[in-house]
Amino acid sequence: MGKSTRKSVLTVVAIVVSMFFILPALWILIDSFRPNLEIMSTMTPVSWHLIIPEKLTIENYVALIISDRFDLALFNSAVVCLASVAAGLLISVMAAYALAVYHFRGRNLIFAVVVISFLVPFEAIAIPLSQLFTDWGLGNTMIGLILPGIGNGLAIFNLRQFFMGIPVSYREAAVIDGASEPRILFSIYARMSGPALVNSALLIFLGQWTAYLWPLLLVSDNNLQVAPVALARTFGEHSASYGENFAGAILLSLVPALAMFILQKTLGNTSIGSGEK
Amino acid sequence: MKARHSVAPADRRRHHGKRQENFWATLFLAPALVALVVLRIAPTISAIWSSLLRGFPGGIKPATFAGLYNYRHLFGDVNFINTIGRTIVFNLIINPLQIFLALLVAVLMIQRIRGANLWRMLIFVPVTIPIVGSSIAWGAMLNPQGPVNAFIVALGGAHQPFFTSPGQALACIIILASWIGIGYWMVFLIAGLKAIPDELYEAAYLDQAGPIRVFFQITIPLLKRNLLFVLVADTVANFVLFVPVQLLTNGGPQNSTTLLMFDAYRTSYGYGSRNLGAAEVTILTAIMLVFVFFQFRLLREGRDSE
Repeated sequence: MGKSTRKSVLTVVAIVVSMFFILPALWILIDSFRPNLEIMSTMTPVSWHLIIPEKLTIENYVALIISDRFDLALFNSAVVCLASVAAGLLISVMAAYALAVYHFRGRNLIFAVVVISFLVPFEAIAIPLSQLFTDWGLGNTMIGLILPGIGNGLAIFNLRQFFMGIPVSYREAAVIDGASEPRILFSIYARMSGPALVNSALLIFLGQWTAYLWPLLLVSDNNLQVAPVALARTFGEHSASYGENFAGAILLSLVPALAMFILQKTLGNTSIGSGEK
Repeated sequence: MKARHSVAPADRRRHHGKRQENFWATLFLAPALVALVVLRIAPTISAIWSSLLRGFPGGIKPATFAGLYNYRHLFGDVNFINTIGRTIVFNLIINPLQIFLALLVAVLMIQRIRGANLWRMLIFVPVTIPIVGSSIAWGAMLNPQGPVNAFIVALGGAHQPFFTSPGQALACIIILASWIGIGYWMVFLIAGLKAIPDELYEAAYLDQAGPIRVFFQITIPLLKRNLLFVLVADTVANFVLFVPVQLLTNGGPQNSTTLLMFDAYRTSYGYGSRNLGAAEVTILTAIMLVFVFFQFRLLREGRDSE
């Protein structure tokens, strides 16, 4: 097989493979702008009308926002995410700094315990935690939604790894200049760690933006509900009106899509490094 | 005497520095440790304790200490044994399958092909859709009157029941989860593949080794660490897969999609048996810990070898 034939064959395979991934997403994107009747009538039998619309409309989006108040849910999600990122970053940066620069007894043990316990998927203990939160009066509160997002083991792990790569001489020089520890942390270490900070912020953000089980367990008040659960509720109530559900899925995906394409560049290097560092 | 005098201030300073370090270390670690205790340790202890109590439906009488009653009850219940078995089989299929396909796609994407970046981006798109959205999309795709059946019928196949059949529902969930997972793990594997030195491939080329031999004798062994890591991380994620089950099948039909995570949720909230649910959560967390410990060791090895 010649080199250029090989290249063409592999390119065709790549196109076919990527169609499996992109077509369902493309379908819900296009159909979110079509009248519901048209979606239902073009699903079967196979024809170009499946993805070539006859009529475009924003009625699905309007219905979702006006009658289901999806805008409120998106706003709640945004508030929860921003607060979680702010608090989560602060906590992670401080913990990572302490675990990276100080040499105290039990450091490795604390590091291991912190990372291992935050690596256990939150879902596993969400049920007992939601019962505790309800007992503590945190059911149906913003604080209750935010708190689980602030502890992220991977964020601490990544930041610590990044901090350990910063030469000790920077810190020593600052100490001699009389800089206080918080100052060294925030104006030297944090300032030098742009990529690791962005990465950790995105991890915390995405975790909260896509959270489903926790808000489902903790919040019963519709006005406080976040977007994924609100969308699931819409899906449960009008499971036949695909247009509205697709519109919700698209709205929910816009922000993480942007975030993920930024994160994708660093993703492969975050945990088990590629070895090229 | 003189010598001691000259040493003492430095010694004191170092001592002072050490004390200061410990002070700041405590202060900086405190919030993370408090979060750890409140968000992780407290619910774990609460679940373990609650799993040792025997509750009464409706909570008319307070729960009483009953030792391992709930565990005995669970392991004596054929439905729960089936749930455990189903969860294990599900994980034995979905994780190797996703990682193997992700590896194939990753290998394909690092070949010299036209538009590699574009195809890679398209494969990554499902990762960016929150799982509630993907579940809705695949619920519609695999609707018996939906587009997938339309394609199957157009190609001469028989109409399939998908989510409505006990024989196919779990397979549909595997497809849905893999649609998301493959693109995600692909990114990790591409990073690993790119770290394999080109010289090794050139040497193999000079030895006239075929692509399959190269794949099994160079790619796989050199990627072992990455493969192991993504396999463990994938397993951790799939053990708590919840959204598609809750949204699309509610554990059915005929319990065919009842995985451990969903079962714990349904026992606690659907059936209102808090203590029995706590026992299920404890079992789930214990299984998770084993995997996570393994994952952590891989993470550390990854760091140490850099």
